Amino acid sequence: MTDHKPPYLGFGLGLRPQHYEEILSGNPAVDWFEVISENYMIPGGQPLRIFDQIRERYPVVMHGVSLSIASTAPLDTEYLTALKGLADRIEPKWISDHLCWTGVHGVNLHDLLPVPYTQEALDHVVDRVRQVQDFLGRRLTLENVSSYVTFGQSEMTEWEFVTEVANRADCWLLFDVNNVYVNAFNHGFSTDEFLHGVPQDRIVQFHVAGHSEEEGHIVDTHDHPVCDEVWDFYREAVTHFGPVSTMIERDDNIPPLAEVVAELDIARKIARELQDGARLSAAE
Amino acid sequence: MTSLKELQARFQAGILTGDDTILDEVKDSPREQRTVLFGVYRHSYVARLAEVLANDYELLHTYLGDASFAELAKAYIDANPSDQRSARWFGRHLARFAKETAPFASHPEISEIAALEKALADAFDGPDATPLSVTDLAATPPEDWPRLILEPHPTAIRLTFTSNAADIWSALKEETQPPAPSHLPEPQALIVWRQGFMARFRPLAAEEAMMWNEAAKGVRFGVLCEMVATFAGEDGAEIRTATYLKDWIDADMLAGSRLEPAHASLEGAGNSVSVRPVNQ
Repeated sequence: MTDHKPPYLGFGLGLRPQHYEEILSGNPAVDWFEVISENYMIPGGQPLRIFDQIRERYPVVMHGVSLSIASTAPLDTEYLTALKGLADRIEPKWISDHLCWTGVHGVNLHDLLPVPYTQEALDHVVDRVRQVQDFLGRRLTLENVSSYVTFGQSEMTEWEFVTEVANRADCWLLFDVNNVYVNAFNHGFSTDEFLHGVPQDRIVQFHVAGHSEEEGHIVDTHDHPVCDEVWDFYREAVTHFGPVSTMIERDDNIPPLAEVVAELDIARKIARELQDGARLSAAE
Repeated sequence: MTSLKELQARFQAGILTGDDTILDEVKDSPREQRTVLFGVYRHSYVARLAEVLANDYELLHTYLGDASFAELAKAYIDANPSDQRSARWFGRHLARFAKETAPFASHPEISEIAALEKALADAFDGPDATPLSVTDLAATPPEDWPRLILEPHPTAIRLTFTSNAADIWSALKEETQPPAPSHLPEPQALIVWRQGFMARFRPLAAEEAMMWNEAAKGVRFGVLCEMVATFAGEDGAEIRTATYLKDWIDADMLAGSRLEPAHASLEGAGNSVSVRPVNQ
């Protein structure tokens, strides 16, 4: 792949139908939008028209949920064709999906299912990412997912697996700050290990989101505001990686647009403080 | 070591059928037993798809209430593992499922409310097409009208109900008390389509439904006129046909027209029915 690293876009939001009207009438202070690819793989009607209007005003990236890159089922060429068709139409800055599988035997479980961190799985995923990238004619961006179980057969850590996939398949990474936090809690590792274990030059986007805490584990529900601990880890991630396009992900209990924009402003503030701090340090 | 393929098959079976074989492959976490952790996936699968159904069939959910809708959703999810990349299409068989499955099948309005909600959703994001206008039709010379073929808007969906599901749906939409479910003395024809960005529906009288059905099959206009005349009498047939056509055009229910090749329409070319363009 010869395409250059995608540009830094600033601070974005996930585009949700509940906010269409407010976005079109208010031009909110959002630098870009991420759209769920599958939501716009539809024949026609108002959603596509509204999307076209938003696309005229804001840069857009595509984020899929059912590529199923780690599945042992054959790649779905019909899906890939639709994905490419949508990309041709909306010209996203990049196309992302998750480092996971969603089903086998013709079934889609509509969940982001975990992969064993084995050499076999690594070879399989790398081969599939290359195939998808060849088909799309561009690099793919893969996101680390939240998980609730680990496999006895795993031969490496999650961050080692993610790094190997990115380097061998030559793809980009979407660093989900919340997912690292959730997995660190659920599986008992340090967020710092993950943060320092993945390659900086591959990271093109951050996701920041809320979650739900159960007694002995955390479920990645995207239905709460971002908690303080995740903001703290976001601060560490920005310190470590530098400026990375950042997006607030809210998929359930979706509040009015102003509330999500206010959360996005927290991310802006953290990034600005760190930048100002860096400038001061450089000046000293 | 269990192969990746086998591992994924077991994982999926663990979610779909409750098979515990996968638990041999996953580990307890520092704080939680593996059964609890794998249970997150089992629970999420049903909860996520039930939520999809509740969103897609919002008024059926209101009609049935939480408990009955949850029962229907659970039965549907168990019987219909999703084979779609987008959850948008997961619930597409719900009307048929409710029609064929006890105890829902003995309440036909359940299936029919579901069918109406699905048709409205399909019309909402169905294919785009420029509606046929009166001006478009006026360009057709009067002598060519008998071999005119009308093209329904691609979002148009015909439904036929045996219950008062449409009235129940309308009451629920207006947040008023729905009528008690009842069996209609005659089946009710409905048409669902998108006008502008709005998915709509309306009942069709028996004669209009007949004409629509035949038009949608590609029957040429000259024959449609004859069929209307046969259906309810020649008196006023011309006016009735023209009125139906004008209503369809005004409501954006048609997306185009074409002329059947002259050699194929000899039978209808000499018929005595002539209909002027509706704008005259």
